[in-house]
Amino acid sequence: MLLWPVRCFVALCIALLSSVVIGHDLSADNSAFVQGLSGPAIGPFLYLGAKHMFTGYDHLLFLLGVIFFLYRPRDILLYVTLFTLGHSLTLMLGVWAHWQVNEHLVDAIIGLSIVYKAFENMGGFQTVLKINPDPRIAVLVFGLCHGLGLATKLQASINSGDGLITNLLSFNVGVELGQLLALCLMLLVLLQWRRQPRFRSQAFVLNAVVMCAGFVLAGNQFAGYLFS
Amino acid sequence: MNDPVQRRTVLLASVGALLLAAVLLLAVILPAEYGWDPLGSGDKFGLLGMTGQEPSPLNLHSEPWRTDRIEFQLAPFEAVEYKYRLKAGTTVLYHWAANVEVLYDMHAEPDGAAPGYAESFSKARADRASGSYTAPFDGIHGWYWHNRSRQDVTLTLETSGFYAEALEMRDGREFRYEIEAQPRNADQP
Repeated sequence: MLLWPVRCFVALCIALLSSVVIGHDLSADNSAFVQGLSGPAIGPFLYLGAKHMFTGYDHLLFLLGVIFFLYRPRDILLYVTLFTLGHSLTLMLGVWAHWQVNEHLVDAIIGLSIVYKAFENMGGFQTVLKINPDPRIAVLVFGLCHGLGLATKLQASINSGDGLITNLLSFNVGVELGQLLALCLMLLVLLQWRRQPRFRSQAFVLNAVVMCAGFVLAGNQFAGYLFS
Repeated sequence: MNDPVQRRTVLLASVGALLLAAVLLLAVILPAEYGWDPLGSGDKFGLLGMTGQEPSPLNLHSEPWRTDRIEFQLAPFEAVEYKYRLKAGTTVLYHWAANVEVLYDMHAEPDGAAPGYAESFSKARADRASGSYTAPFDGIHGWYWHNRSRQDVTLTLETSGFYAEALEMRDGREFRYEIEAQPRNADQP
């Protein structure tokens, strides 16, 4: 019975390590291809958006944190919608208005958003800090941060001018498709896991691990900011 | 929504997560990613210098620099192959032109490969081509030209690069050229 939560745990650790090793840019190959494009290119940008979300461990870990203790479908829908609203808004605005934000700092905040969510899931706000911040506001605000991160990545590889809006929208829709796919997989695992008798204690441990992952991601990005 | 988890447990777990993250970062990740090695562990595990090595726009070569110019006469349906012996990483700048469109195949044969094995980089019909080529492996690297017309073809190849030897294959025979520092005219060995 214990076997497969353990597997999840191991998978998560591997994911965490590889995320640090591989980094989280649009891979160099894709980037070169996209920069060579001029004009609208719906297919490539849809794919890039989906790939970016699906291979972006920081977004995935945050998303996992968000849905971890959501049991009702309408809650899942509400929170995911808030997250989507947040990141779509800053993604579109950021690229469209050429916001120049430091990529490392944004990614560091994204790392901290994972820490925040894990802390919340561990019951930290009630027990340690004796406060009760609204998780809906948190997910919206962090959604804005994640969108900013997406925007800085996309700006590095999108040609402004001809087809910008089309490509931007395609990328955004791609992000949502990737997110939907990731969400389905996570829910599939979570729904099974919740039925296990030791889910609660394992969930606490997993959130502590996720928190650690958030710290690592944030620390790595802070270091990137300092050293480059 | 949560089980009442004790304040102490949450605190311990959070601080533990932070400490574990700090250790991972300081001991492994920062040395590997940024070459910053405060604990000396990166050096110990051989993690330093893993990143930040972008290819330089400048490549220095110790091989002799040569220029080569050679003219080939191809009767109708005659073919010739001409290749340079290059070390991996060395570059050749080239230009060739013919009076009539020919079929060409730019390719290379790695040293030690099975006879007849070649990697092809460009195969087309054209009456000229120019470019730069950097050898991906030690071996012989060059062109096959085939006159598919009914006219006589005169084809001139001009190159410069880091080679000292060229091979010409024609009519089942192979000629070997030592390429001197001086440009020369040669169609015959």
